[in-house]
Amino acid sequence: MSRIQVEGLTKRFGEVAAVDRVSLDISHGDFLVLLGPSGCGKSTLLRMIAGLIEPSGGRVLLDGRDVTFAPPRERDMAMVFQSYALYPHLTVERNIGFPLRSRRRPRAEIRQKVREVAALLDLAELLDRRPRELSGGQRQRVAVGRALVRDPGAFLMDEPLSNLDAKLRTATRGQLRALHHTLGSTIVYVTHDQVEAMTMATRVALLNAGRLEQVGTPTDVYDEPASVFVAGFLGSPAMNLLPARIESRAGRVQVLAPGVELSLWTADDQPAREVTLGVRPEHLVLLPPTSASLASSPTSTSPVFRGVVETVENLGGEEVAQCAVGDARLLARGPRPLGLRPGEPVAFGVPADRVHLFDRASGRRLVWQPASGDIPRERDHVHDSAAAVAGS
Amino acid sequence: MFVELAPLAAPAEHVAVDAARPPVARRVLRALPPFLYLAPGLGCLIVWTYRPLVEAVQLSFYQWNLLPTRPKVPVGLDNYQQVVQLPELRHSLWLTVATIVFLLPFSVLLPTIISLLTRRIHGRAGGAYRALVFAPVLVPPVASAAMWMWLLDPRHGLVDRMIGNPVNWLHERGPAQLAIIGITGWHLLGFAVLVVTAGLANINDEYSAAAQLDGATRRQITRWIILPLLSPTLVLLTLMTVLLSGQLTFPLIDALTQGGPDDATTNAYYLLWEYCFKSFNAGLASAAGLAFFLAFGLVALFLVWLFEKLSFHDN
Repeated sequence: MSRIQVEGLTKRFGEVAAVDRVSLDISHGDFLVLLGPSGCGKSTLLRMIAGLIEPSGGRVLLDGRDVTFAPPRERDMAMVFQSYALYPHLTVERNIGFPLRSRRRPRAEIRQKVREVAALLDLAELLDRRPRELSGGQRQRVAVGRALVRDPGAFLMDEPLSNLDAKLRTATRGQLRALHHTLGSTIVYVTHDQVEAMTMATRVALLNAGRLEQVGTPTDVYDEPASVFVAGFLGSPAMNLLPARIESRAGRVQVLAPGVELSLWTADDQPAREVTLGVRPEHLVLLPPTSASLASSPTSTSPVFRGVVETVENLGGEEVAQCAVGDARLLARGPRPLGLRPGEPVAFGVPADRVHLFDRASGRRLVWQPASGDIPRERDHVHDSAAAVAGS
Repeated sequence: MFVELAPLAAPAEHVAVDAARPPVARRVLRALPPFLYLAPGLGCLIVWTYRPLVEAVQLSFYQWNLLPTRPKVPVGLDNYQQVVQLPELRHSLWLTVATIVFLLPFSVLLPTIISLLTRRIHGRAGGAYRALVFAPVLVPPVASAAMWMWLLDPRHGLVDRMIGNPVNWLHERGPAQLAIIGITGWHLLGFAVLVVTAGLANINDEYSAAAQLDGATRRQITRWIILPLLSPTLVLLTLMTVLLSGQLTFPLIDALTQGGPDDATTNAYYLLWEYCFKSFNAGLASAAGLAFFLAFGLVALFLVWLFEKLSFHDN
């Protein structure tokens, strides 16, 4: 069990900061997923935590002890590499036993521990094989076994599933989650796959260009993305992001753009502001094209997007429709059939609490702070906070 | 009423026609280019290696003094009998084996140590070190022989002045043998360092990263991970030492000692040359050459087998 604290960790390669002042507090038993596109610095960050790369600035604390410049051997961590890095000249048994052998444990104990781990990971039949005689999934399990064998304080995993095929990846995801549940150890997991992050993490840390964009439970980061980057990275298809303006008009806060007219709630103190409007494709509600009136109540789904259907994609269970709204493209997703045909006019509504607004320049999320007693109706947060409790 | 869905097969009346194979002439023409590319290399190999080999086998059953005007006298297995009996041949063989054994530290041990040490020096300094070690490879053997003749000059040479003890390097048995091995080793070292450095670069860094996280010390990583993965390269270098020691020492022996003093530096290859081109006994030289060829061939086969066994083709 380990608590890992990262304080202002920075890694510069020449002029470029691969990791830029990242701070994280990873508590006992956390399953923290470092998520981001390739080249965002997530692997560099993990390798600094592991001690394989020396940071240019900042600190790494392990259970309160400063290990920033300690060699990997002196940190109680085990790592699963993307390439698995199984020693090609050693059998599975010796690969798994390697961490114990290097710690000079008695031979009988090593044998015993390796058998236990092999049984747990269903590798008992393969102990005498060499890595090249194993399939991708078996290699991945050996790599996990090697990390598991000495009961480390924390596991570091660098895209361990990226070399597996889709079906095996889904199965292994479940196994890793179960493993985390049984062991209760701290896991720091690097991936660019949002599905892995959403399904396994207790907390997700999103990185972009070396900087931390948001840290939170999977529900947090999906439902309340802190920036345009997070909003655009999560979800498939990603969130619709349109340039728009907000202002108070006729006593109501309104979001306006070509083809978009969204009335949020009553308030007349909102100065005009350039924003990015975000709506997830699955939150768009298809309205009959005849409904022309703008409903005034924020609780009802008022028709706010008007446009023309361009294409409809069949995903099997669902359909995704691409529509032209003003100059922008809007994706809507729903159960099949949506009943849309290319070329037809279309109107969508959206519940006010499913609307995300971001500052146009900084890309950061805008949060409504009511000036007086006029509190807009917020979405029900009950299951959000439940997830947050489970994650902490 | 339910009706079963028809399977996805071509209707019976619709018989598929197989595509016609291109004519033989065109297929031959298409297969030709690779062989054309190989032809110059294969030609040289046949003319300069295999043909002489066959001729050596023929010559080994004759007595002939290389003069085109003199006839070749068939002598059956006489030449081979001499090869087995001649004491100087046995002596030269032992000298060859000893040379190989004493060259191995220069071609395997030292290069491994130097490469492992210079690997920790990054950037330009590391490159500079390796360039310095590699430089002797670029000196032609005869030029280096001339240089070493000055350096090893008794009394006035730099070597004797440095050790402050006049040793007649090239005209005493032991020192002459040492000198030949030392100069050959100096030549070989740079190339071997280059090969080992390339071998080390081929070993994925992830292995030692993984071993570090597995708690291994630097020495454990070198012993348990790096050296086993480097072993094919080291076997290759051993193979090179065995097969090339003759070619590498020959110009030095010829320029510095001419096989002397008292045959002390006459190794197998120099002896063959003496038999053929000094004593003009082509038959005996061929027979001895073939005997060496077979012996070294067996050693080479064993080392190649070992190389294959130690190589871990990891994907």
